[in-house]
Amino acid sequence: MPKYLLLARNSTEPKAPPSPEEMQALGAAWGAWMSKFRSAIVTGGDGLQPGGRVIKDGIVTDGPYVEAKEVIISFTLLQADDIEAALAIARECPGGLCFELRELAGYA
Amino acid sequence: MSEPRALVEHFFRHESGRIVALLTRSMGVRRLAMVEDVVQSALVQALETWSRRGVPDDPAGWLYRTARNLAIDAIRRERALAQALPRLVEGADCESSPVDPHFEDEIGDEPLRLLFVCCHDAVPAESRIALALRTLCGFSTAEIARALLTTEANVQKRVQRARDRLRELDVGFETPAPAELRARLDAVLSVIYLLFSQGCHATHGEVPIRRDLCDEARRLARMLAAHPIGEVPAVHALLALMGFHAARFLARLDSDGTIVLLEAQNRAAWDWSEIREAMEWLARSAIGDELTRYHVEAGIAWEHCRAPSFAQTDWNRVVELYEILDQIAPSPLTTLNRAVAVSYLLGPRAGLDRLESIPPESVPARYPGWPAVIGELNFRLGRFADAERAWREALRGTTTRADREFLARRLDLCRSG
Repeated sequence: MPKYLLLARNSTEPKAPPSPEEMQALGAAWGAWMSKFRSAIVTGGDGLQPGGRVIKDGIVTDGPYVEAKEVIISFTLLQADDIEAALAIARECPGGLCFELRELAGYA
Repeated sequence: MSEPRALVEHFFRHESGRIVALLTRSMGVRRLAMVEDVVQSALVQALETWSRRGVPDDPAGWLYRTARNLAIDAIRRERALAQALPRLVEGADCESSPVDPHFEDEIGDEPLRLLFVCCHDAVPAESRIALALRTLCGFSTAEIARALLTTEANVQKRVQRARDRLRELDVGFETPAPAELRARLDAVLSVIYLLFSQGCHATHGEVPIRRDLCDEARRLARMLAAHPIGEVPAVHALLALMGFHAARFLARLDSDGTIVLLEAQNRAAWDWSEIREAMEWLARSAIGDELTRYHVEAGIAWEHCRAPSFAQTDWNRVVELYEILDQIAPSPLTTLNRAVAVSYLLGPRAGLDRLESIPPESVPARYPGWPAVIGELNFRLGRFADAERAWREALRGTTTRADREFLARRLDLCRSG
């Protein structure tokens, strides 16, 4: 079965933080999503801490990129019959994030 | 291991307030903004980690440890900065041992203690309640806006002002004398009252009654009543008021979670042990000559509990009490409730006249309760088209499922009526 990388991006625009209760609701929605697609979600995905480094032409700078409108905040590995099936899973993912879905090439 | 959704309802809301209170106690009130930030970060981490790995065995402890570690990191960075800039470290001793807000007759309960801090008299009055609801009760900006009948932008400004002010107070956060604590008591009671009201009639989310908010409000009030500062009639009256309302909770919802109006409630389903306890508080509140809004509202709630049936309610007395309430604590809500009471005493036309005599600028915007009552009074007058129009307006403003379903049922009645 082909595998897909689901990258979640979030806006860097400052916004009012959600209330604890809204966060809890979001957590519940995430939990529901993860358990619904348990068989499709491959172990190893994770969220990303803010910050990091960018290496380009040997020059290291602090990331993520202050000028960027969106930053990657998490990655999830999915297995699905085809990209449409993977897309259906991604569509149900809560949180109003922007997603990028890519099929793994299978080199590794 | 349970799913995150299996966590008790509003666990985050409770825990965030409690952790903010605990950390503020050890880190100092002037670090309130930092503490709120780290608690927020801990919640985000919980959200991400728990979603992927399941909820830990001791979620509250996990949250507290995560927030505390983040706070320690933040203070380390603060100190590293201070060491790099020696000119800034004058008074570094204070940096490392934050001044504790300390009350005479120590208030043992952390949330209650922070509640008194939020109600500091140097913080503008309208900001105190907003800050406390946000920080301690975990209310969203939208919920606070509803509770205070104002806009979200206003709430944000108020919270910001309160935080700025508390930071400016800085190290010299002196021990408030009992007299000062007493001066803050009014604001503290307002917060507890709003917390309870929000629980009784939730303006957001799926459940119309949030027992958790009501329970926390009553817990805070009981802690307060057990403290010398809080051993005053106003606190006892507030406890009575909350008890009378809590007694009716079970009867207020039908089996599918829709609101049951007072007139249709099964009075046998009221919790009489709650009512008895509330009566004891009411008796204690009558000691002395202080008359607060809580006394009057508890009196109104008692009138309802006392009546053997809706029809036998002493509306004369209820209207009288609303008139007193209007004098000591005028608010659009009092005006509205008074008009309803008048409508049962003198008929719906009299109630409607009351409401129609209110100038439009005094009618709270975005408050769906107002058109809902106008609809009800018109319905009772047999003016179904007017009732429908008002109920539709109310429906546009509602934010909860229970309210929507309730109004939808009323609208059905209009059509069949």
